[in-house]
Amino acid sequence: MQSIQGKHGNGKSRTVGALLASAAMLLPPVRSACADAPPEQAVVSVRYLNYHDSQKGDTDATAGMSRDRIDVQALSLYGMAPIAGKWSIAATFTEDSVSGASPAYHGAGFPADSMSGASAEIRYAGDLSVTRYFSRGTLSAGASYSEESDYISRGCSLNGTWSTESRNTTLSFGTAYSSDTLFLNNPAVVASKKSDTPGRKRVLSGLLGVTQVLSQNDIMQLTVTYAHGEGYYSDPYKDPDERPGKRRMFTFMTRWNHHFDGPDGTARLSYRYYGDSFGIVAHTFGAEYVQPLPNGWEVTPMVRFYSQSAADFYVPTGDDPQARPSVPAEAEHYSADQRLSSFGAFSYGVRVARELGRSWTADVQYESYRQRSSWCISGDGDPGIPSFTFRSVQLGVTRKL
Amino acid sequence: MRTSMVPTVVALLALLAVTALAGCASVQPWEKQNLSKPAMTFDRDRLEAGYTEHIYSSREAASGGSGIGGGGCGCN
Repeated sequence: MQSIQGKHGNGKSRTVGALLASAAMLLPPVRSACADAPPEQAVVSVRYLNYHDSQKGDTDATAGMSRDRIDVQALSLYGMAPIAGKWSIAATFTEDSVSGASPAYHGAGFPADSMSGASAEIRYAGDLSVTRYFSRGTLSAGASYSEESDYISRGCSLNGTWSTESRNTTLSFGTAYSSDTLFLNNPAVVASKKSDTPGRKRVLSGLLGVTQVLSQNDIMQLTVTYAHGEGYYSDPYKDPDERPGKRRMFTFMTRWNHHFDGPDGTARLSYRYYGDSFGIVAHTFGAEYVQPLPNGWEVTPMVRFYSQSAADFYVPTGDDPQARPSVPAEAEHYSADQRLSSFGAFSYGVRVARELGRSWTADVQYESYRQRSSWCISGDGDPGIPSFTFRSVQLGVTRKL
Repeated sequence: MRTSMVPTVVALLALLAVTALAGCASVQPWEKQNLSKPAMTFDRDRLEAGYTEHIYSSREAASGGSGIGGGGCGCN
């Protein structure tokens, strides 16, 4: 090296440049850092979910309201295959089984036979997407379908990305449309909402985002989405419940990933702002840390905090939180759905994954979640709402073909 | 929308600010070894993300944010 430097005045910089270029060729492809490149291998995955939730009357106001609510078992399949070097096709299929019951209002008003072993509701859902890869971007078209006994949803979407020449910045854009049909002749539908004419709901949404490499160890993403929905937004099984026929939703999400050289781990942080025309404002904070371990193991602890304000038309509990609330006089819209009340939620979990050879990966994920009216950071929570908890377990296996 | 235009304006300004950073970033291809690790991407396991987002959106009023597409369901 010294002799080369001696012969050429700028030999050092040339040599360093050549070494860096050689090193770059040995590095793994950087396609996932910012822009997408065509996949080289097909992938298939299968994943199982076991979910259970319950409410707990653990305050003086909610004493006696503890009970189990919903159980869900779900199985999903995913497949993705590259086509002709510039295309890929991906599909998912999900079947889930839901049993138990939710309250008709607040934390009460459960159907009388909800715990008598009634048969589970089955939902089938699937989606298909085709992606075209360009030298500095992607374009993806997708379609989705979901069906259960009283609800059908159909959707389509178009998403794209475009990267700068340095691939340090990627712009994302997308639009989606969904059309849902609610069947209101189910025996369990609230009497005043029963109808042989299905309810319909249509939502048009758009997305704009930017992903930016900030340093060798930092990458950030900002995404703005807006959705405009019209149609049947009331819940056929809740009473009292009469919601506006339009809902405009706005979200602003920012995510930041940081790599730590020492432990070779990655911190993944996120914040989401949500506001809608129901008057609900929500904040979501998420953090997880991905730590690779010897022998192909990887551990990811995670925490999440969520807080929302109440909808403008939320009807709070009265002196007796188990009594059916009365609708305010001359109110056009009203709902006693606890999901429209003001509350905060904290969850924690862990995912443990292991590579099994070159092609297989298996993981198990556990999450514990608790929702409390007193944990909201904006507005006053409804003290008559019992705390709500769920725990979920996911098992997944993935194989590269 | 009762939430006013402030969050929208802030979000758009943030988008513009980050886009403006495009000219400042000087990370070269050979410096992206860490950025290329799967954990550093914003893509999640599609099935895991599907389960998790579905659970949250059926128990909370807010939903979405990281992407669009896919249909609704009767649970929310």
